[in-house]
Amino acid sequence: MPLVSTNRLHKFFGTNHVLRGIKLDVEEGEVVTIVGRSGSGKSTLLRTLNGLESIDDGVIEVDGATLEVDRADASALRNLRQKVGMVFQQFNLFPHLSAGQNVMLAPQVVKRTPKKEAEEIARRMLERVGLAEKFDAFPDQLSGGQQQRVAIARALAMSPRVLLCDEITSALDPELVNEVLGVVRQLAGEGMTLIMVTHEMRFAREVSDKLVFMHEGKIHESGHPQAMFAKPATAEFASFIGSLN
Amino acid sequence: MAYHFDFTFVPDYAGMLAQGVAYTLGLTVVGGTLGILIGIGGAVSRTWNVRPFGPLYGYYVELFRNTPFLVQLFLIFFGLPSLGIKLAEWQAAILAMVLNLGAYSTEIIRAGLQATPRGQVEAADSLAFTRWQVFLHVMLRPALRKVWPALSSQVVITMLGSSVCSQISAEELTFVANFIQSRNFRAFETYFLTTAMYFGLALLVRQAMHAIGRHLIVRRPSR
Amino acid sequence: MMTFSLWDIVRNLLIGGALTLLLSLVAFALGGATGLLVLFARIGKWRAPRALAQMHIELFQGTPLLLQLFTLFFGLSLFGLDVPAWLAAGLGLTLFTSAFLAEIWRGCVEAVPRGQWEASACLAMTYWEQMRHVILPQAMRLSIAPTVGFAVQVVKGTAVTSIIGFAELTKTGSMIANATFQPFLVYSLVALGYFILCYPLSRYAQALERSFHAAR
Repeated sequence: MPLVSTNRLHKFFGTNHVLRGIKLDVEEGEVVTIVGRSGSGKSTLLRTLNGLESIDDGVIEVDGATLEVDRADASALRNLRQKVGMVFQQFNLFPHLSAGQNVMLAPQVVKRTPKKEAEEIARRMLERVGLAEKFDAFPDQLSGGQQQRVAIARALAMSPRVLLCDEITSALDPELVNEVLGVVRQLAGEGMTLIMVTHEMRFAREVSDKLVFMHEGKIHESGHPQAMFAKPATAEFASFIGSLN
Repeated sequence: MAYHFDFTFVPDYAGMLAQGVAYTLGLTVVGGTLGILIGIGGAVSRTWNVRPFGPLYGYYVELFRNTPFLVQLFLIFFGLPSLGIKLAEWQAAILAMVLNLGAYSTEIIRAGLQATPRGQVEAADSLAFTRWQVFLHVMLRPALRKVWPALSSQVVITMLGSSVCSQISAEELTFVANFIQSRNFRAFETYFLTTAMYFGLALLVRQAMHAIGRHLIVRRPSR
Repeated sequence: MMTFSLWDIVRNLLIGGALTLLLSLVAFALGGATGLLVLFARIGKWRAPRALAQMHIELFQGTPLLLQLFTLFFGLSLFGLDVPAWLAAGLGLTLFTSAFLAEIWRGCVEAVPRGQWEASACLAMTYWEQMRHVILPQAMRLSIAPTVGFAVQVVKGTAVTSIIGFAELTKTGSMIANATFQPFLVYSLVALGYFILCYPLSRYAQALERSFHAAR
């Protein structure tokens, strides 16, 4: 049984039909990268997976937690979100808290983890992303790359079953991109289930088990990245990779 | 005990109420116009520290923004005669409103002027505009456009504040209300109605400021 | 005729000034507490409280404080309550303050970037957990300068309560001015009294604003 599965997913923004019946299965430990032109619905799809965007039809299942259109009540959402971590393009660290406190907050508040234990978790997570020594630093004292790594640590602290990465290197200066990708590569190596939207095509090819190409609100083509890049099955994907260079 | 609300007095006093509204609007129009003009003068003097006006404006702004309008009004109407300056009620009311609004709009417009990007002035200078044209089109207009909502709010606040002018017997709307309730002994209904009228006036003044802003400020300078 | 020395005038004004200060503090404290309730109703998810809060805000921001005091004063007496001036003054200013503070604070809550809501939502926090741990701490920092700035408006607003007979600084001033026939002197002293209360607050608000922008 897949860890994450969506079926018949539909989403409208007003009259704009952004997601047109998405069926996506992600196995445990799989690394899935979603690509496509802007406006293809890739970010929206990612954001529906933890309820940041509501859905208008269909069903989402993550590790036994289901989200349906009419039954998206607060506790179902909370249940789902404890299994799904997310990292954003703009980091969205809490500016009034230190790096350590950023990581500690959700375990303490949501999981009622005692402070001492939460602090241990936070130190471990920051070490995992290579920022053990930045525990007491505030977000505005960190570089963009460091902030993004703290954001990853913050998501990991909730021990999610799957991590969503929404263009997490797009807001970074070029020289900082690699330190963040390095952390993601390491997570993939550790067997973390990852669903990413990214423009770093080389990275996607290298770490993904599955590539999903979205076009006009639908999954237009998907498969193993090497094979897809070597031999695009559709003209749209061919033109998409053509436009990358 | 059920209280019986009685608004039957309204038709008898409709004419008076209308006069009160007109008086209040008159105070607002004159006070608003002159106050904003003073504000422009103040903002310019303060921004470029024109001597001696810049520092003088500084004291004026602090004095008027840190004391109640009512006290300013009393000082002008009751206090100034001891210095030989005797003003009629309406003159005192207008003077107080102009000075009060002038102080606030000085600071509001100054903030707008300070937000003008340096590059725009340089661009205009390089296009050989005269200094006056640069000031008017590149500095003042954009500044006013930027702060017009804040300025509009301040004019509304000043209009609402003018209700205390009843205390020096300026015959504005609240004065009329006081008069009516002293005749009909229906204080609650009278004041309730008057409050509602002020609410309507506030909407009206806001709309008017919006319209003025659109026509006077936003319109591009004609060629 | 009784004669007043300058000290007599100042002494009486000081008593009035103390009442002005007291009324300001009470109105600000109670108005702040009420304003917090109005704020939560205004930004909350429930429709009816939200509409009520908005009405409260628009009503008290869109009508003269003096008329609010009159209506309250005479409205309460309809219920057969004999309302003393201090009570009407305190109650009126509290409601007035709550409306303005709620609106100021709403602006601060809305100034917290959307990403903060999303990030905390993704960590499975509930609305109140988000509010308490993520949004309000940031909004609070934004709100300090405008809140202190509004305190000046509250102090000045207390002057209007003189009209319904509350013997604060302005009312005391009026009485002394009538008794001494020295209105210019007396009202200048009254103005000075307000200035002494308000100016430090204004400067403090400005300094906070500046240091906040410098920190950005």
